[in-house]
Amino acid sequence: MGLNREQITEELIKIAGAGQVITDEQVLKESSVDRFRRFEAYHGVFRMPLPAAVVNVNSTEDVAAVIKFANKNRINVIPRTGHSATEGGLEAALENSIVVDGSGMNKIINIDTYNMQATVQCGVCLQTLDDLLREQGYTTGHSPQSKPLAMLGGLVATRSIGQFSTLYGGIEDMVVGVEAVFPDGGITRIKNVPRRAAGPDIRHVIIGNEGALCFITEVTVKIFKHFPENNIFLGYTLDNMKTGFEILREVIVNGYRPSVARLYDVEDGSYYFSHFADGKCVLIFVAEGVKPIADATAAAIAEIVSQYEECEKVDPGLIKRWFEHLNWDPGNLAEEKREIVETKNICNTTEISGNWSIINEIYEVCMQRVRNEIPDLTLLGAHSSHSYLNGTNLYFVYFYNVVDCKPEEEISKYHLPIKKIIVEETIKAGGSMCHHHGVGKHRTHWIEKEYGSSYYILKKLKQAFDPHSIMNMGTIIPLEN
Amino acid sequence: MNILVCFTVIPELEMMLGEDWFVDENLQIDVGFLKHSLNCYDESALEIALKFSDAARKRHVSPNLTALTIAGPEANPILKTLNALRFNRVVRINNHEDIRFNSMAIASMLHQYVSNRMPQDVLLMGWQSGVGENAKTPLLVAEMLGWPCITQVTEIEPVDSHHLVVTCQVDDGQLQQTIQIPCVLSIGNAPNSYMRIPTLKDRMQFGRRTAEVLDANDFEPFDEGIELVSLDVINRQRSAILIEGATPEEKAGKLYKSFLAKRLNKL
Repeated sequence: MGLNREQITEELIKIAGAGQVITDEQVLKESSVDRFRRFEAYHGVFRMPLPAAVVNVNSTEDVAAVIKFANKNRINVIPRTGHSATEGGLEAALENSIVVDGSGMNKIINIDTYNMQATVQCGVCLQTLDDLLREQGYTTGHSPQSKPLAMLGGLVATRSIGQFSTLYGGIEDMVVGVEAVFPDGGITRIKNVPRRAAGPDIRHVIIGNEGALCFITEVTVKIFKHFPENNIFLGYTLDNMKTGFEILREVIVNGYRPSVARLYDVEDGSYYFSHFADGKCVLIFVAEGVKPIADATAAAIAEIVSQYEECEKVDPGLIKRWFEHLNWDPGNLAEEKREIVETKNICNTTEISGNWSIINEIYEVCMQRVRNEIPDLTLLGAHSSHSYLNGTNLYFVYFYNVVDCKPEEEISKYHLPIKKIIVEETIKAGGSMCHHHGVGKHRTHWIEKEYGSSYYILKKLKQAFDPHSIMNMGTIIPLEN
Repeated sequence: MNILVCFTVIPELEMMLGEDWFVDENLQIDVGFLKHSLNCYDESALEIALKFSDAARKRHVSPNLTALTIAGPEANPILKTLNALRFNRVVRINNHEDIRFNSMAIASMLHQYVSNRMPQDVLLMGWQSGVGENAKTPLLVAEMLGWPCITQVTEIEPVDSHHLVVTCQVDDGQLQQTIQIPCVLSIGNAPNSYMRIPTLKDRMQFGRRTAEVLDANDFEPFDEGIELVSLDVINRQRSAILIEGATPEEKAGKLYKSFLAKRLNKL
């Protein structure tokens, strides 16, 4: 017989102190969801099992003690830092879970500009770290849209990627070393070395685990020299996505690495660029770095694009203004809540990836099916924002009016059916259903198809590290019942 | 019942960079890089009109909704949206002059449109624009038309084809009045400030209708107006003290000891 809520709370208070254990009902409700269920949450509907408590942890030892207690008593643990997750990864799938909040672990431990790395606790906000680095002429290079809100623990746990990834890479390219607590309470540290071939790269067990294997307590990331004064902005309008994909491919395959390489279709482009690209696709590049590299990258891109007659150049000033306003902040979120509640119109996204040879096919079939099969759409579009030698991603963006349904029905009427179409068509074509938001709890249905025969490796990791099934159950791997 | 909603589109000034705030010799700031969107009070006015239309149809009153702006082509994306939302008529008066601060000229054009081109029964507009910020236009139009004007309107409901219930904010609460048309209603801080979003199907079906484009030169000019003589950027920077500390607790301690303790003691 497991512990009841009161017993769980009592024990947590003994471990962490009364001031660190929150049982306020509204806090617990809001802690049972993340942005995936924001439509119903904004309407005051909370359907997920209520956690027993939120416990604020202030040290790795705190984390270890809490998780060890949870493991002993078979209590589900939800690791959390910035609470900006979008795919249900922070939803409470089981009754009486413990939300372990590491946002108070916010020390910047060391900035080492000789070895070009910064070590921080899991609760350091990325914007805080990057602002501090930029004052000194450096940057993390990591810039997801959630930058002012997201924290390093969660960013590593979700295998996040930023808007400048074409130059700096995704988080997996940036992590040097990491410390994490595993379900048995053991504290594991992977040291900071430039590279090693001492067996498999075990950092990748932790990076992207979405709290299903461990709790990340400390991260060391690379830092880069920052030369914003050399930024060169390039923008073009064009008629179709297929041409845009070809151009992106050519830029990347020939070895150029602009920090930003983006292709917007007409609809998604209209949201940001209707003042200069009405009815057109938009291609954007930003070249940065030391001046010779930035200049050469920009010149090469301009040369490549010039070979495509349909591309028309736009004033770089337009791109520069867009570039300076990329990210969310708490004010945006507050306004978003008001707008959603008033208009009953909401935006959601699904991001996938695929090789160059299949990406346009994925785009076209998904757009056609979603447009034909889903009602009440007000915008349906996509953009490519992260390109690689062998392919690119697609970020499908869809707005819809929530019509004739209760708030809690929004997900099943609109969001999940749209996601199903995009996921299934992507997997069928040979792409990945999940580029950078994480699996969360709402793409677990397809996880075996995503992995195929390699699902064996994922399952074994879960069994090995979380034998008592306490770590963020229902995330990545579906609950069995 | 003919309802005219007058709206303006304004540049998204929050997208400006510091270096953009430069006043040229024509007393203009270059907003060419910026997207334009609906002035927030006008957005409320448009949504109020649409809500009124929904309610009116249930009472078998069929209002005729016209949306009108005095603007250049930057307003075209908004016009498409309004067509998609099934405004009966969408009009743009193509403007060549600087009327940012010239409420009299704007009011005159609106007066001429209503009196000479397309008679209306109700004029709705936001109480002021985010650029001019003078709150005069609704009052001036009402005066020119000889119609009553109610300000700080937050809601309107249909009664019959000649009467409306108008709710407005007053100093000590809300006032609800049943009034006879015609009238000018100046929309204030309405509870619903966002306009609904048309579906893709509506945009395909209705959004491609052509907006009616008139030219400001086809209207009698209004020569007595405000002449803009200077335009200065207001420096809104405020001084700040950065409190350093390794932890929030340390910073809070410094804030209290260095800045708050004495003030609190004085209280």
